[in-house]
Amino acid sequence: MGPEWINPYHLQVASFAFINVILGVSIYVTLATGQLSLGNAGFMGIGAYAAALLSTRYGCPIPAGIVLGGLFAGIAGILVGIPSLRLSGVYLAIATLGSGEVLRAVLVNWESLTGGAVGIAAIPQMGRVLLSRAREAGFAPESIGLRNNQFIGISVFLILFVCAFLAVLFFLRLGRTRVGRAYAAIKLDEKAAEAAGIPVTYYKVLAFSQGAMLAGFAGALYAHTTSFVSPSDFTYHRAVEILVFAVFGGSEHLLGPVFGAAFLTMLPEALRSVSDYRDILYGILLVLTMVFRPQGVLDPPLLRGFARFRRKGKA
Amino acid sequence: MFLEQLVNGVTLGSIYAIVALGYTLVFGVLDIINMAHGEIFMFGAFVGMLIVSKAGAPLPVAFLGAIVVTGAMGLLLERFALRPLRKAPGVSNLSSLISTIGVSILLENVAQKVFGAGNHLFETPFAEIRFRVGGVTVYLVQALILFVSLALMTGLALWLARTRTGRALRATAENLATAGLLGVDTNLMITATVVIASAMGGVAGVLVGMAFNYINNQIGLSMGLKGLAIIIFGGMGSVYGAMAGGLILGIAETLVVAYGDSGYRDSIAFLTIIVVLLIRPQGLFGQAAPGMRR
Repeated sequence: MGPEWINPYHLQVASFAFINVILGVSIYVTLATGQLSLGNAGFMGIGAYAAALLSTRYGCPIPAGIVLGGLFAGIAGILVGIPSLRLSGVYLAIATLGSGEVLRAVLVNWESLTGGAVGIAAIPQMGRVLLSRAREAGFAPESIGLRNNQFIGISVFLILFVCAFLAVLFFLRLGRTRVGRAYAAIKLDEKAAEAAGIPVTYYKVLAFSQGAMLAGFAGALYAHTTSFVSPSDFTYHRAVEILVFAVFGGSEHLLGPVFGAAFLTMLPEALRSVSDYRDILYGILLVLTMVFRPQGVLDPPLLRGFARFRRKGKA
Repeated sequence: MFLEQLVNGVTLGSIYAIVALGYTLVFGVLDIINMAHGEIFMFGAFVGMLIVSKAGAPLPVAFLGAIVVTGAMGLLLERFALRPLRKAPGVSNLSSLISTIGVSILLENVAQKVFGAGNHLFETPFAEIRFRVGGVTVYLVQALILFVSLALMTGLALWLARTRTGRALRATAENLATAGLLGVDTNLMITATVVIASAMGGVAGVLVGMAFNYINNQIGLSMGLKGLAIIIFGGMGSVYGAMAGGLILGIAETLVVAYGDSGYRDSIAFLTIIVVLLIRPQGLFGQAAPGMRR
């Protein structure tokens, strides 16, 4: 029953890759103004917990919960962003890392709301909800030759693909607008940007909260994909993982973190023997990238090279 | 009761102070935050555990072993993760932050592969010996920790202030290029700083093993984050700030656990940083410099 090549496990890995792509974009957006935020794991946690609580406690529909989860994280981003952005460089990195850790302590200790260290289970999984809706509407996946778990896997895959695609597209386009140019100016030289009349603080807070909102959005999607969240999903290690996506993939162009997230999520699956050593590999990769290619694998000159190559091929 | 808590707090705080000194030395000289310091500290604890609990050797051997191993790790860290970045053009401070984060996850996971993820007992032969000083019960271990950390801090302060190499190190911290022109071998001073800072981390690791009786591969992360909080609190690069900040955090944490909610114990450090960064960004002992944090 069902085409055998559609493997729910592979679909799941690909789905996580899409969530990680959104996370990669989220750290890129703040990096685009030259600020390193290590708080995105915390904002991801806010989005995930908000979506999980809205659906398990208040029966909020999943799409609304996901949007609200992103918004909550965005608001938290503004609240953390306004004071933190007096800082920059390593100070900002550590302050955001600290706020992430405080948030995690709150998640662990506020048991009546968050379920403590155990977390929240039985969050509606979007694929399963979609399946039961489809069945109510009289549609059976068998009619197009799919098993139930294949249908679930494919629908989650498609939803996350669309979400990741839209996020990447939005921020690619943003780069060519007034906002995107302001970000680039601030990254190049904050003082010069200020002298040129760009409201630096406004754009920095905007970038910071956009990154937070995107991370919260990814977190909400994560909650409805795994149907289980706990504080240990949003630790320092997650913050570092998100950082690796951007640093390895390339932090000077949006497609860098996208490539980094997709590549690093798939790689351990492709090389089964190393998946045990994934974190060790991450560590070595970070050092090697910094030593040999500090701008990451993909950088604007390389991407321009690709574009030229493609044009030549067509001509 | 309160006095006993105070003794506990000072013991904990003096360990924090040594960890924070490791951060502050490296920051003072190199202007970078060594995110791998916590994991080097953790390896010091494991080396001490292997020597004391597994091999049954006396405590001084454990300190020596931890110093040798963590010092060597500092040497390798400087050679392979910091020096290549120093020579490269256009590399920002964030690059070395990220590269040391890489070393930290590498070390944490190597420790997990080698030692496992569980707790290891750190047995000291005199763990139960205690005595009473004016109505306050003090464990011998606590007295020893206090003695070692005070000796270490005094030694470091004297070395920095009085000796020729200490002066060279401070000159390097003040201005790398000028110190080089004046004949200081700055590369050597930088290596020495990272090695000394790491060895202090190793000593702190053994002390933590003695104080808590168990260690695991996660202690590097939590201690490292606290060390960061302390140097921000005390003022980046300030030696006395690290000492005072460590003591204050240790006492504050102990009192919160004794009289408040123990669940938030680990958050105190971070709430402190956030508040300090907002009110007095240069830290307790840091010198205010306009635009310094920019």
